[in-house]
Amino acid sequence: MAKVLLEPIGSARERAVDEAAWAAQRAHAEALGASLQAKRDEVRAGWGPEYAARVRKKGKLPTWERIDRLRDPGTPVLPFGTLVNYGRTFGEERKTSPGAGVVTAFATVAGRYTVVIANDNTVASGSWWPQTPEKIQRAQEIALRLRLPVVYLVDCSGLFLPEQSHTFPGRTGAGAIFRMNALLSAAGVPQIAGVHGDCIAGGGYMPIISDVVYMTEQAYMVVAGAALVKGAKAQHITSLSIGGPDVHVHLSRCADHRVPDDETLLACVRREVAKLPGSACAYYRYGAEAAEPRFAPSELEGVFPVDHRTGYDMREVLARLTDHSMLGEFAPSVGREMICGVARVGGLYAGFVANNLALTDHPVHRDVKRPGGILYKEGIAKVAQFSRCCNDDGIPIVWLQDISGFDIGPEAEKQGLLGFGSSLIYTNATNDVPMFTVLLRKASGAGYYAMEGLPYAPVLQLATPLTRLAVMEGRTLAIGAFNSRLDDAFKPVAKTPEEAEEIRRGMQAVEDRVTREMDPVLAASRRDVDEIVRPGELRAWIEPLIAMAYQATGYRRVKNPRIWSLHDQEVIAG
Amino acid sequence: MFHRVLIANRGEIAARVIRACRELGVETVAVYSEADRGAPWLADATATLCIGPAPAARSYLDADAILQAAEQTECRAIHPGYGFLSENALFAARCEQHGITFVGPGPAAIRAMGDKLRAKRTMAAAGLPTIPGSTEPLASAADAARLADEIGYPVLLKASAGGGGRGMRRCDAPAGLPAAYAEAAREAESAFGSSELYLEKYLVGGRHVEFQILADRYGHAVHLGERECSIQRHHQKLVEESPSPALTAEERDAIGRRAASAAASFGYVNAGTLEFLRTERGELFFMEMNTRLQVEHPVTEMVTGLDLVQWQLAIAVGAPLGFRQDEVALAGHAIEFRINAEDPDAGFRPDPGRITAVSDPSAAAPGVAVRWDAGVAPGWRVPPHYDSMIGKLIVHAGTRAEVLEAARSALRALGIQGIKTTVPLHLRLLDDPAFAAGTYDVRTLERSGLVGSVSTEA
Repeated sequence: MAKVLLEPIGSARERAVDEAAWAAQRAHAEALGASLQAKRDEVRAGWGPEYAARVRKKGKLPTWERIDRLRDPGTPVLPFGTLVNYGRTFGEERKTSPGAGVVTAFATVAGRYTVVIANDNTVASGSWWPQTPEKIQRAQEIALRLRLPVVYLVDCSGLFLPEQSHTFPGRTGAGAIFRMNALLSAAGVPQIAGVHGDCIAGGGYMPIISDVVYMTEQAYMVVAGAALVKGAKAQHITSLSIGGPDVHVHLSRCADHRVPDDETLLACVRREVAKLPGSACAYYRYGAEAAEPRFAPSELEGVFPVDHRTGYDMREVLARLTDHSMLGEFAPSVGREMICGVARVGGLYAGFVANNLALTDHPVHRDVKRPGGILYKEGIAKVAQFSRCCNDDGIPIVWLQDISGFDIGPEAEKQGLLGFGSSLIYTNATNDVPMFTVLLRKASGAGYYAMEGLPYAPVLQLATPLTRLAVMEGRTLAIGAFNSRLDDAFKPVAKTPEEAEEIRRGMQAVEDRVTREMDPVLAASRRDVDEIVRPGELRAWIEPLIAMAYQATGYRRVKNPRIWSLHDQEVIAG
Repeated sequence: MFHRVLIANRGEIAARVIRACRELGVETVAVYSEADRGAPWLADATATLCIGPAPAARSYLDADAILQAAEQTECRAIHPGYGFLSENALFAARCEQHGITFVGPGPAAIRAMGDKLRAKRTMAAAGLPTIPGSTEPLASAADAARLADEIGYPVLLKASAGGGGRGMRRCDAPAGLPAAYAEAAREAESAFGSSELYLEKYLVGGRHVEFQILADRYGHAVHLGERECSIQRHHQKLVEESPSPALTAEERDAIGRRAASAAASFGYVNAGTLEFLRTERGELFFMEMNTRLQVEHPVTEMVTGLDLVQWQLAIAVGAPLGFRQDEVALAGHAIEFRINAEDPDAGFRPDPGRITAVSDPSAAAPGVAVRWDAGVAPGWRVPPHYDSMIGKLIVHAGTRAEVLEAARSALRALGIQGIKTTVPLHLRLLDDPAFAAGTYDVRTLERSGLVGSVSTEA
């Protein structure tokens, strides 16, 4: 049947989670959320109000105010890479680099989603730190994947020189940003640059490949600043005099337009974006309208148990992410440990793949129940086929991970889980439909890979404050590390009590270290996740992401639902 | 036009929709609960199908059963009537996914108007006057107090998700506000799963005036004049008329046009009603929008000569409105009397049971149009499970005075026996000077002494 039959899922909060659990879980999420918010605020403040004041004194706007004027009034700005370099310091003066000195964000400009890349002029005048080039390239890559227009708001004094060995030479060194500029241009992705201030050396190359370049009267672009030009002092030359708008707009033609100030520049950039083709989202809704879930997405704050070993109902999560809280489940009776299905998000079709944390029946042994959050043969096969169908049909996929890993043991090996898993990995690795990954909670083992973890190049990978990203839980890893000194019940085998105690201490140390390493903030600081969002914010991320996947036309396959291969698969499966 | 339509309702409105379909040459499938087996209106349907037991939750409100019935009987559209699933956004969305046309607006419009605060904001943005008060949900009791001081007491706290008076508290002075806020929030949370509240000025008295609009899929909307619905008992309408005795032609034109363009401004499609409160000083404030056919739609049909149900079906199948606002002509005066199986002298206690006699009153007043929209017949036992309204008597004539005159004989001609009804109350109302003069407001009926002093026994 060529109809996409979506069924209501989920239940009212009172029925989904009892009062006591709700209160405890909400409180837990609130504490984690507050801690996350404090970190966001810290990054947002840059190097503090005195730096912002310094920027203003030069007649310029601080970066966040620029973004605020760029976006359509009242629309959310979704920053990603916020916590890159969080907790790290550089140079002998142990300087911090909030957000790696650059803001990368999705912003709605003239009704179109854009990727905004804006040097943070309140952090060392927008200079480039270790990981700044990678963060910029990540934003460019996302724009390239979704064909989203890119807006550069450039205000950059060049590399932070004490750390140049980390930012200059490598595969992802600063120069790779300009390579991405070129690739974006080659793929026909619009790039618009506003030059607001310093734009030295590397910074200077970034705007030039853009289709349209605006410069304010405070801006200059130079291969080398006045400080490096021989005899600068004697000739009374300044960077502005050798690379300002007077030179680049009129003589060199390296920029197109000169404008008096930041405010005017941003208004002009908005006008440029408005000239581009509009969003195709309304077209791809096929006459339906965007709708909120019936159950408030904010209730996701209280759905996840405090103890990470406790299960919950993943359908209640899906019910708070999908329009009208409706899902058309794919092969619901096969591989019940996985939930696959199609839903509308903001009126647009999206595929969801999620772990079912409940106990499910063993497909063969009638009395056996299997724990959820694990990949078994049937679930892997179902997910792989669903993923292939979505790719074939052009349905963007959202992966919701709460996965401990693949099933292990003699039965799993006999069934050839390595083979089934590899089939799934092959599928995801070669899919070209936009895929987005959310690490709801656990992201462990090869399950993290098989469910489109970052190494499989999702367009974006989100974590929550509850995320536990590691090859395995600390306790499991400690057992692995001390395996030869443990008995079958994982108790220490020791000649003396002291030795047993030493083994126990050693195991505890391993467990503690892994638990620390699982902290999503650390992952975000290293760019292993793109952004940490609160569970209650997930819908506010997923909805725009799906809309971005449908914004541009002509670059990827989008099949109308009449001709989905998913329907063929359902017929075959009966 | 659709080949076959399923009617997901019962009683007089099922009969009404079946009649419209028949006149359009559309086949009908009437679904019914076990309590309605053999009901009079079912005889006129092309086919009938039992969808479940008597409780509405397991029959007329059971979306799965109704969708399945529509698939099984190959219906291309579902007319929800009023009540039951008619303002259920999820049901409308499910129809959309099934490829079955829901005769009504889209789910987004249903939801947008179902959230009372959002509806108010939408309409204010579209230029309609709204009752002074919140534009955003209240953040706290202190927030409420600040706003109340600004607009002045008395104030009314309301639940954003609300309806039916739940989560609503009147507050006359600052001292009572914190407690009222807490109670309303608690009630709203338990009734709607959301404790979100807003506040507005409490307006004493006034008249309930509502505008009927029709909007097609192509952005064209018209209004069909207003209905006056101030004869109420505990917020239940009993008598409705069109035009309102209180409105001038200029007011009607001005507000009506704004109501129609407000509905078009957010993409509203199909029939809808914007309810206003008209204060004693003559100001009109938007209150809420009903995204469905109203019970009292016949008075509009009588004065406009348009069949609203047929237009609902035409709009649903994609027809453009074939006329402009200035082609809508309002002629004469119409009044509707709701005939409920209730004892008006015993606190309106429902009085279901077997009807032993009922006559068609349409020839009761020569030269005057008398219409009897009902779902009853002699021998039919009114089941106790549903709303107690069994029919509507509509009288249409050149002037209001002629209507009042004819209404007396029409009401008497009904001759309903076997159950108690609201007919005696209507006859007494015709003698009420305020009603006869058209100077009544929403408090008139309960203050008139007509409804007796025993209403607490209900």
